[in-house]
Amino acid sequence: MATLDPTVVLIPAYNEAATVGYIVARVRRLWRCPVVVIDDCSTDATVRIARLAGATVLPLTIQLGAWGAIQTGLRYALRQGYQIAVTLDADGQHDPEDIGALLRLLATDAADVAIGAFPERASRARRFAWSYFRWLTGLELEDITSGFRAYNPAAMIALASREASLLDYQDVGVLLILRRKGLRIVEAPVAMQPRAAGASRIFRSWWVVGKYMLQTSLLCIARVGFNPLPPAAD
Amino acid sequence: MITYQLTSMAIGVLLAAIILLLVRRDHLHGPYSLWWIGAAATVALLGFFPRLFDVLASKLGISYPPILAIVLGFSMLLVKILTMDLERSRQERLIRRLAQRLAMLEARTPEPNAADAAEHDPPPPASTAR
Repeated sequence: MATLDPTVVLIPAYNEAATVGYIVARVRRLWRCPVVVIDDCSTDATVRIARLAGATVLPLTIQLGAWGAIQTGLRYALRQGYQIAVTLDADGQHDPEDIGALLRLLATDAADVAIGAFPERASRARRFAWSYFRWLTGLELEDITSGFRAYNPAAMIALASREASLLDYQDVGVLLILRRKGLRIVEAPVAMQPRAAGASRIFRSWWVVGKYMLQTSLLCIARVGFNPLPPAAD
Repeated sequence: MITYQLTSMAIGVLLAAIILLLVRRDHLHGPYSLWWIGAAATVALLGFFPRLFDVLASKLGISYPPILAIVLGFSMLLVKILTMDLERSRQERLIRRLAQRLAMLEARTPEPNAADAAEHDPPPPASTAR
């Protein structure tokens, strides 16, 4: 199965040598589209393995974190003239087969951003964090932290902007920018694979979680009144 | 005997001299050097005329003049630190975008023969076997 619009798959990777080769090859085999791995200063063989599997590698010279890496990919995709950018985790959590569900949402023009949601995967702490941020932002999404997304050109332009460069995570801050630009965000429920290797970069210790919650809360509160209410569903 | 006036002058002149020397040696970049030359001038002026604060304080209805100096000095420091963080945020944004641009320029596509290799999937990692 091939895609219609020029599509690129962006995979941010930090020390994912164990899985990145398999993911890249699988995406290329299933979708026949170019794969870009953004290397966030890995110290293992991630770059070599990704290249060997057929990916274009964008090597970051300083570590920018997950969102900085994804933004690099989005800017690259825009420059290369791709019409759709799909972001995928390198650790095997997201099944490349499900990219189809996201692309279908964009193809029917039902959404500017499609998010692969895994509501059932979440631990109690994560569910709590989600409902807290839903309450704080008024976003009506199940899975706020999912890194499995597809963007159309309007969304890519919004997120490649300088305004988005000081964000640290691909979640609430990014969603708020999208909403402010009046872009439509739609979720597609997809199955979730167990994380093959490594751990979440956010939900790994109470200290990091606390810092994350505080920083993101501040981001939400600082943007109060900035965001138009989401357009009424009709 | 060293007078209060002399101590104050010495401190003012010394601080101003150090700042001017740094500006002259080009250790301070444009807009910063302006701020610091202003600071040097203020320090020197107050060093020579420490009574200025007494006059000012009485005009402002402050009964203990040194506290005016402390409050004003502290406020200026706060303003300076705030603008430093603003500048740091601006630089952080620039650095991030620069690093991204560099990564885009350094994009390497796989060599042609690597594409063939990709046709054969590498074995899935043990825990993702499905």
